[in-house]
Amino acid sequence: MNLAELLTIPASMFPDQEMLRFEGRGTSYAGLCERVARTAGALRALGVLAGDRVAALEINTPAMIEALYATAGLGAAFVPLNYRARADELAHLLGVAAPRVLLVGDRYLDTVRELGAARAEGPQLATLEHPAEGVPHLPALAEQSAPVFPAEVADEDLAVLMFTSGTTAAAKAVMLAHADLVAFVFNTTEPADGSDRGAVLLAAPLHHIAGLTAALAATFAGRRIVLLRQFEAEAWLHLVETERVTHAFLVPTMLKRVLDSPHFAAPNLASLQVLSYGAAPMPLPVIRRAIEVFPPAVQFINAFGQTETTSTVAVLGPEDHRLEGAPEEVERKLRRLASIGRPLPDVELRILDDQSRALPPGQVGEIAIRTERLMRGYYGQEAATRATVQDGWLRTRDLGWMDEDGYVYLAGRASDLIIRGGENIAPQEVEAVLASHPAVEEAAVIGLPDEEWGEQVAAVVVRRPGVEVSAEALVEHCRQRLASFKRPQAVVFADALPRNALGKLLRQELREQASRQPPAISHQRSGQS
Amino acid sequence: MANQLGKRYVCEVCGTETLCTRAGEGTVHCCGKEMQLKQPKPLPSAD
Repeated sequence: MNLAELLTIPASMFPDQEMLRFEGRGTSYAGLCERVARTAGALRALGVLAGDRVAALEINTPAMIEALYATAGLGAAFVPLNYRARADELAHLLGVAAPRVLLVGDRYLDTVRELGAARAEGPQLATLEHPAEGVPHLPALAEQSAPVFPAEVADEDLAVLMFTSGTTAAAKAVMLAHADLVAFVFNTTEPADGSDRGAVLLAAPLHHIAGLTAALAATFAGRRIVLLRQFEAEAWLHLVETERVTHAFLVPTMLKRVLDSPHFAAPNLASLQVLSYGAAPMPLPVIRRAIEVFPPAVQFINAFGQTETTSTVAVLGPEDHRLEGAPEEVERKLRRLASIGRPLPDVELRILDDQSRALPPGQVGEIAIRTERLMRGYYGQEAATRATVQDGWLRTRDLGWMDEDGYVYLAGRASDLIIRGGENIAPQEVEAVLASHPAVEEAAVIGLPDEEWGEQVAAVVVRRPGVEVSAEALVEHCRQRLASFKRPQAVVFADALPRNALGKLLRQELREQASRQPPAISHQRSGQS
Repeated sequence: MANQLGKRYVCEVCGTETLCTRAGEGTVHCCGKEMQLKQPKPLPSAD
């Protein structure tokens, strides 16, 4: 099935239903289908054939949605590029993807021209917004083109080439086939049936897997897509209110900005039903505050996924975000807020040891994933593909463990692991226990050099405002809940934890800080095991 | 019960699923049995 049929199927059922909303203007299914078909005709006129690639460099606009479906409809692969890429990065991405056509938004045209991408051997340029001298204008070309409808494709044909953010190496291009993206949508979304499915606010960029799959899922579900050019907290809040938005996805940094905005007012967010988050670990204080201040009806979902797995593979659902019940229940749920939840029904998730054997609950190993929507590989990088996908399992290089109830916890990258006297300790496990203490705002756990044990477990703790707690009390809290070798031997109090712009904890900086500051408590080492 | 627009039907024998894009009076059959209405998923969409 062609990815573009995620649009044409609901459009055939509900042609007049509004499905896209951008800066006050609405487009129906039929209207979008018409524009997509003509855009496909325009791309064909520019020389795009099945098997080609069409790259696009633009913020979230209707033209991007049209280009996505038009490209897939032709049997070519859509390559959404990160619009924050610097010129040299862009040159690398274009070199890898080798697109037939590069679609460009107004603000990126000069950069692309400077790159020399318009050279004879480079991609054919076309503008997505306004006409520019010497460059074809895609909307104008589409006006003159006969419509082209979705082509038959094989399941394994490439639909999207998406660059990973590349935390371990230079960005790699993940190959996602029509069947992968269709499987994600079919397995997680109810088809449009004419009932009111609300509106999703699309603030994540389309070059991010969460943004792209949210657009596909909403199209198929009959959920109106409200497009936001680029995230900005005030605009986000304004759109939720005025467009009666029911669903939204935010990365942690965006959620924090929404919470910090002087325009935040819960009564204006009464339409919100589902707020999902992901893409980076969520700092506990941020999600805790969100649960407190958003309208009580809002269902929070932590969606964990990767580009390589066609988006979400595990979710921590709304029930796990309701911090209600007896004190033990609340404490259990607070610990679970550090979890990425449980695997979706179409996902198998295992924790593997270094011999690729599955580990039992509670033990830290590498997270491996198998699903029918696993990527087809890294484009042009067969060795990297072979190293990542082994016997049908994606080796994520993320460490994690699973609890007795099947909840999965991330334990960082291999380099974050603390090794004390030969025992592996995942800092995140100890952090989750510390964070479940009512006086703790957030906590980070690191390994510090230790003559006897190799490393000792040290905790850096931020206390909740106005609440006092001693280091001894926190160690005792851990002693009751963790194996003895995992409990912190040193506790340092701090005003805040160092994080990068995405909200990711900067552990190296913490290690440096903690080694400079004398701990509030340092336990005797003798007698511990 | 007649087929309903936008609903999925599943064959309990072979697992085939169909999506009804135009409703009529009839019912769909597979493997000699009437296909069953697929129940919605318990979780809201993650995205």
